[in-house]
Amino acid sequence: MTELPCKLTLDQWDRRYDALVAGGLREPSYGGPLGRHVDDGNLRLCKLQMDDSPAALRLWNFLLSEEDRLADARRRGARLVGVLKDLGTVPVMAYSLDRVVAFYPDGAWWIPCVMEQSDGLLAIADRLGVDESFCPVRAMLGAFESQAHFPIPDLLIASVGATCDDLSAIAQRLEGMGHPIFWWEIPHRRPPEAGEDAVHLPGGCVAPAAQVAFVRDELERVRQCLARFAGQELTDARLAEGIGRANRVRRLLGQLRQMAYSAPAAPLPALEMLIAEMLAIHFCSDQNECMAVLGELVEEARRRERAGVGAVAPEAVRVFWLNPVADLRAMNVLEDAGGRVCGTEYLFSHALDPIDEDVPPTEALARSALADLMVGSPIDRAERVCRDMRAFGAEALVISRIPGASHCSLEGAIIGEVVRQRLGVPVVEVEVPPLTDAMEPTLRTRLEALVETVRDGRTP
Amino acid sequence: MNNVGYCSPFVPPEWIAAFGWSPRWLRPRAAGARDLATTHRGLCPFAGALVEQVIASEDLHAVVLTTACDPMRYGAAVLQARTDWPTFLFNLPSTWQSNAAGRLYCDELRRLGRFLVDLGGRSPSPDETRATFARYDAARGSVRDAWPVQSSRQYAEMVAAVRGEGRAHPRPSTVENATDGVPLALLGGPLVEEDLAILDALPQLGGRIVLDASEGGQRTLAAALPAEWPGDDPVEALRRAYFDAIPDVFRRPNDRLFEWLRPRLAARGARGILLRRHVFCDLWHAEIERIRQATGLPLIDLDMLHADAGAPAQAIGRIEAFLEMLRGGRWLVARG
Repeated sequence: MTELPCKLTLDQWDRRYDALVAGGLREPSYGGPLGRHVDDGNLRLCKLQMDDSPAALRLWNFLLSEEDRLADARRRGARLVGVLKDLGTVPVMAYSLDRVVAFYPDGAWWIPCVMEQSDGLLAIADRLGVDESFCPVRAMLGAFESQAHFPIPDLLIASVGATCDDLSAIAQRLEGMGHPIFWWEIPHRRPPEAGEDAVHLPGGCVAPAAQVAFVRDELERVRQCLARFAGQELTDARLAEGIGRANRVRRLLGQLRQMAYSAPAAPLPALEMLIAEMLAIHFCSDQNECMAVLGELVEEARRRERAGVGAVAPEAVRVFWLNPVADLRAMNVLEDAGGRVCGTEYLFSHALDPIDEDVPPTEALARSALADLMVGSPIDRAERVCRDMRAFGAEALVISRIPGASHCSLEGAIIGEVVRQRLGVPVVEVEVPPLTDAMEPTLRTRLEALVETVRDGRTP
Repeated sequence: MNNVGYCSPFVPPEWIAAFGWSPRWLRPRAAGARDLATTHRGLCPFAGALVEQVIASEDLHAVVLTTACDPMRYGAAVLQARTDWPTFLFNLPSTWQSNAAGRLYCDELRRLGRFLVDLGGRSPSPDETRATFARYDAARGSVRDAWPVQSSRQYAEMVAAVRGEGRAHPRPSTVENATDGVPLALLGGPLVEEDLAILDALPQLGGRIVLDASEGGQRTLAAALPAEWPGDDPVEALRRAYFDAIPDVFRRPNDRLFEWLRPRLAARGARGILLRRHVFCDLWHAEIERIRQATGLPLIDLDMLHADAGAPAQAIGRIEAFLEMLRGGRWLVARG
């Protein structure tokens, strides 16, 4: 008989952990009960409901051990690259080198949530004049100042141009604080003019060939910078291998997303899917282990799909979710309200789409970088959302605003209008701060209203 | 209706004019804006007011916006999604240290030229281009160091005229008592119409602007155009005067902003800085602490939102207190 998947609180998980260990659970070196992460200050775990599978246990442990992994990498002689903003391109290059580990310090934006603001990072950012009018990525500034979280990278590489103002402004402050940055330009992706050579990008957008060539030249600069840094030539052959490895991660995520978002009963909950997707951008600082973690999740999802069981009720309303949430708990709230996630655009769809392998590597990476939906018009992004909503059968769109984020002020209105016109589905815009506790009733009510609206509109 | 509106100092008005259009420097009114400027949380009110002004305009034919900041990039998307306004979004590189960034700027100027022709403009002959460039260059030269002037408003309007039709009028003039009042620098983003009224009140408060380093002021006036165009290419000449020369907060890195600012603050004897930034403008907001440290001058952060009825009075009250503090500082220094 197949055991029905369920979601567990932290206490329940630790009891289940003991049972799994007693039953012979084999874990990687970073394994252990989830409760121990609370002792490290990750208090938010106490408010989350997590999937009960060993695959989810491994995912959480992998995520929550990243700072230790980075510190350990440095102790073992690896050099650390901090990558800012591009979300998925430069790490592919960095991981093509030996003894180089790349990660996104921007990821610190989740620390205030996970540590329930006991970290004090936002307060440090406040003191530095970067207040709550900025998006929660300002926590990164606090992390650099306090040096109490991730190790300070040996090299920082930031993409700027058609990127959000928050990150660009905060990165400039970092440089002003004595952290030199290698800047590279990502232009705003525009439609090709009549008669202009065009290139089809992964994910469906089209860009002028001249823009692809420009980004390719910029990535050549990045390549030279990384090679100098690593003391190692970053050849096309190395890059091609690196792209191949990144694509293995992307294909695993593709399988996982396909099952999780299209199966009649979602085999994995939205929260674990969010974290799994996030692994694509820098592999949580260990590419091989990332593949192993994702492989186990794929197996678990496949097992559940075959058994016809899901982590969320089959009648749940199929929601497409736009933008990542600053508070992980919001994904629990959606499912509590009767929804399930069927498709996402968490700002990095370009990191999920496989990179072309039939063109020279820097050309392929340039296409991937320009495919970033955030560097183009929000109308392009809306079209991608519509396409994916159709593919996954999504019945509604949730536009999740990131407080203070410069792109969130207008994109929701534009994308919402396009989706309503094209698909005729309900759209709701919510704002999710790093801690939703005070406003959870409001958030829940808005999501419940969306769920009811969809259910009322369903044909019997 | 031959006007092409723009609001970025990196867009050369002589380039627009050369194609037969009348460039118009846009300085929107913020208080009258009803929709975008007031109801979208997180949206820069300048960008919102500008988009509304464009939509409501009856005397513009097209608008040129740039990618220098997110609100403008998304503002262009609003115009494209909701209206049939001819909108040109100029890809303005943030980086400047590579040749590629400069080439991108040049390519965008050429693309702008094609856009202006497609709108119904004409491809200029080399002689026409030289004549147009010379007119704007001369006009800029006449206002670049025109100081002191009668008032901050006069200077702002003079520069706006230069950025528009390429003529400096009214002519710069020195006035009596121009050395009265605490000398201040105006720094920051673009001004809205209502800001000028606040600047008008400065003399009564006991202050005066000695350096206009706002988005529309001296800081962002293009350098003199080279006498010989590199490669005989007008676009390369514009690159030298604009892209290579104008310091701005969005540039990465933006050290040149500070390099430009420090000697001018000293030369003009500025004793304090009025930093005008729009609410939710991350680019200026994040730099406030660095500006304080780099200049060593007292700074007041004017993040007023004119859609709030009480904003002007509040701003004036804050400036008055700031000036009192500066005057007190002088007294202490004099006694010490």
